[in-house]
Amino acid sequence: MRRTKRGRLAAAVTAAALLAGLFVPGAGAQTPAEEERIVFTLGDDNDIDSMNPWVGVEAPAYLMYALNYDLLVNFSLEDLSPAPGLAESWEVSDDGLTWTFDIREGVTWHDGEPFTAHDVAYTFNRILEERQGCCIDYIRQAETVEATDDTTLVIQARRPTVQFLTAYVYILPEHIWSELDEEEVKTFENYPNPVGTGAFQVVEWEEGQFFRMEANPDYWGGAPNVDEVIYRIYQNEDALAQALLAGEIDFADTLGAGVFDSLVGQENIATNEASIPSFEEIGFNAGADENYPNSDGHPALKDVTVRRAIAHAIDKQTIVDRILLGHGTIGSTIVPPVTDFYHYEPTPEETIPFDIAEANRLLDEAGYEDTDGDGVREMPGGGEPLHFRYFVRNEENSTVTTSEFVTDWLSQIGISTDVRGMSDTRLTNVIYDGNYDMFHWGWFPDADPDFILSVMTCGQRPPDGVWSDSFYCNDEYDAMYEEQQTTLDLEQRAEIVKEMQRIVYEDAPYVVLFYDRNLQAYREDRWTGFIQQPAENGDLLAAYGPYSYISIRPKGAEEGGTGETGTTSSTGVPTAVWLGGIGLVLAAIVVWLLLRRRAGVEERE
Amino acid sequence: MGTRRYLVGKVAQAVLTLLFVLVFNFFLFRVIPGDPAQILARAKHLPREAIVQLTEDFGLNEPLPKQFALYVEDTVTGNLGISYKFRRPVADVIASRVWPTVLLVGVATLAATAIGLLIGIYGAWRRGSKLDLGSLGVSLIFYAMPEFWLGILLLMGLAAGLGWFPTGGIVTPGAGFTGIAAATDVLNHLFLPAITLTLALIGEYALIMRSSLLDVMGEDYLVTARAKGLREALVLRRHAVRNALLPTVTLVALNLGFVVSGAITVELVFSWPGLGLLTAEAAGVPDFPLLQGLFLLFSVTVILANLAADLIYGYLDPRVRRV
Repeated sequence: MRRTKRGRLAAAVTAAALLAGLFVPGAGAQTPAEEERIVFTLGDDNDIDSMNPWVGVEAPAYLMYALNYDLLVNFSLEDLSPAPGLAESWEVSDDGLTWTFDIREGVTWHDGEPFTAHDVAYTFNRILEERQGCCIDYIRQAETVEATDDTTLVIQARRPTVQFLTAYVYILPEHIWSELDEEEVKTFENYPNPVGTGAFQVVEWEEGQFFRMEANPDYWGGAPNVDEVIYRIYQNEDALAQALLAGEIDFADTLGAGVFDSLVGQENIATNEASIPSFEEIGFNAGADENYPNSDGHPALKDVTVRRAIAHAIDKQTIVDRILLGHGTIGSTIVPPVTDFYHYEPTPEETIPFDIAEANRLLDEAGYEDTDGDGVREMPGGGEPLHFRYFVRNEENSTVTTSEFVTDWLSQIGISTDVRGMSDTRLTNVIYDGNYDMFHWGWFPDADPDFILSVMTCGQRPPDGVWSDSFYCNDEYDAMYEEQQTTLDLEQRAEIVKEMQRIVYEDAPYVVLFYDRNLQAYREDRWTGFIQQPAENGDLLAAYGPYSYISIRPKGAEEGGTGETGTTSSTGVPTAVWLGGIGLVLAAIVVWLLLRRRAGVEERE
Repeated sequence: MGTRRYLVGKVAQAVLTLLFVLVFNFFLFRVIPGDPAQILARAKHLPREAIVQLTEDFGLNEPLPKQFALYVEDTVTGNLGISYKFRRPVADVIASRVWPTVLLVGVATLAATAIGLLIGIYGAWRRGSKLDLGSLGVSLIFYAMPEFWLGILLLMGLAAGLGWFPTGGIVTPGAGFTGIAAATDVLNHLFLPAITLTLALIGEYALIMRSSLLDVMGEDYLVTARAKGLREALVLRRHAVRNALLPTVTLVALNLGFVVSGAITVELVFSWPGLGLLTAEAAGVPDFPLLQGLFLLFSVTVILANLAADLIYGYLDPRVRRV
């Protein structure tokens, strides 16, 4: 009895497998029948954390904000200077206190509601009232923000300032955000359907996998040429490069030097080394004991001569060649050259070149001598040896490799190091508490130099401040920092900003090692129309605005026309093969069970 | 009677372990140096007041006993607290990532167990044959290979090179497949990571099955069975394999707990959106509530796998119940 039952089961399974086989041709043709959409697929190795512009901090979140929302004032394509955004034009009173913005007419939110100056006023006022950490620093000088009518926004400043022209604050719809109270807004996901005024809107988000944005055909800056932008997360760079070669993605962003070099010269692949506002530095503890009497920072590093001697002993070109594999330029001042308008490059006389002999001479002259003959200099008068703790980042292996070079150079000027790897978390705290001598880290400054300049002010030193990681303090510098904030003439402001960079370069609380680049690669056989920002050596996609995403189009297609994209079809073996395979496995199991049963019946113990 | 006491004992043991893990978890993550509010702030250049605000939001300004009370409350109510990074309930964040891992680990474990046991049984039965040496050698090579490397090789060969399979993810973004096309899409994405994990697991299972079967093959009861005139195949199946399965089942069950957390390298290679990746992301912040939630889940998996091993063991080997 039981045997027949199993027999039936087997027959049923076999029949099912056969049936599935019959249906296979239909199931295999799985390409969606809808019209061909133009899809631009971008791959990167970073996951988005939040679609709420007041919460997210990861790079893809910034990308999503830049495409989904608009700024009051944009960053220009040419040199990142102020350019019309949601404000078409603006003027400032002679005393620099009253700013009047003419707000664009006829702009609508993604949900069809009209956008007005009241939305801007609402966004700014709420940030000021709730002291939203994301953005308050950008508009801190605003005393009152008011929409006098639908197209006019008036900001009264506490003191003369130009900060509203570089405010990185995305304008949010009052009719949606006003329904969230202060607590709700902290965990507001802003998905599905994040409503903005931007060139694209997010329509799908699969956490840890991708997000998909659809073009906004009514965008005030012009309708994008593509229908969709997909951002895909690849958790490792080799896979990202392979996906580009295989054509699963159209663009690979923020590649490592090794992977990038492997893509250079490949068929159908174009590469770009984009200048970006980014640098890495070796920072010194230049005096934490002023704020923390118990700080165990080495006293020698409070001496500018020692810091300059170390700067002389570091061969930045070798680091660029060996660590960045040539994809970068040697560093000097803390405002990167990509923000050309504000960057200061030291004159030949001011430059601290790689010169071991000069470094030794400086130290000899200042009385740091090796009195006990162990190869390490001591403090003047014979005291503590020049032995520095040198912290590197476990999360960034290149800092570990760099330390091997630096340690060797320093040994040539009679300085020994104790290199210690640390997690970023731990290093943040060690620096905050002032218990370090040297470290290797980096910054990604804003387009406006204000923030990175503030890092070197006395007020930023912990525990009262936050961002100083060198405990550098210079009253003259601080006075200039205040002055540049209230200088309305941009040329004049740039002069002050440059002088501040010169001072920091000379005092060397940081040795800026290099300015690295964003290494990008894309399928040149498929895509064209990228707009670099800034124009010279700039980023092909740039998150300072949606320009490039609006302009890109499939190669060979007229603007707005359709072309080959082919990224939405599934890669892989067809359904037929899968059904066949699964059917085979099932059949094998059934046959085995049957045989076993029969054997069991025949042969009893 | 004996059976019931055995069961109750094992379950009680599991519950106690779970409670211990619950408490231990909390203190484990408080020992990690570093202030999450500071780290988040550095990433975005947040002003001072934002850090104070974050510290308050995260409850990090509360005294430790209060934090512990909040932690227990969050755990018992089931939302496991709010993730620092994603600013959503931890339970939600984990729930969205748990199925990919279950699918990957489930398929790989099933396949590896089936293939590994077959190789082990055949190898022991025909010890020293060419097939035994060959299959054992190959499975050991895969076992010894770093999963990361094996995965990249498969990816370069079968995905990028031949274009048979996609290079990563679990679905084709934006394709909007439904029904059978959607299932095929997932299977295509699943294939390479599952094969990688399977190949990595087979060797261990084959080896343990082979050696425990070899142990059993010298036993007297096999001589008895043969003396009863049973065919060799039946001696093997009814008497040898059944006894030799005990250590293997234990290993597979115990492994299951670790495979979940250990699939991380494979998930990294193929950008498989599972728990392994999530753990790596959470550790980077560090996102205490999310890490606590994940570790709780991993601990529960290991404990349940242990319990399952104990129970299966009891079923397979009646002697165990009486001890």
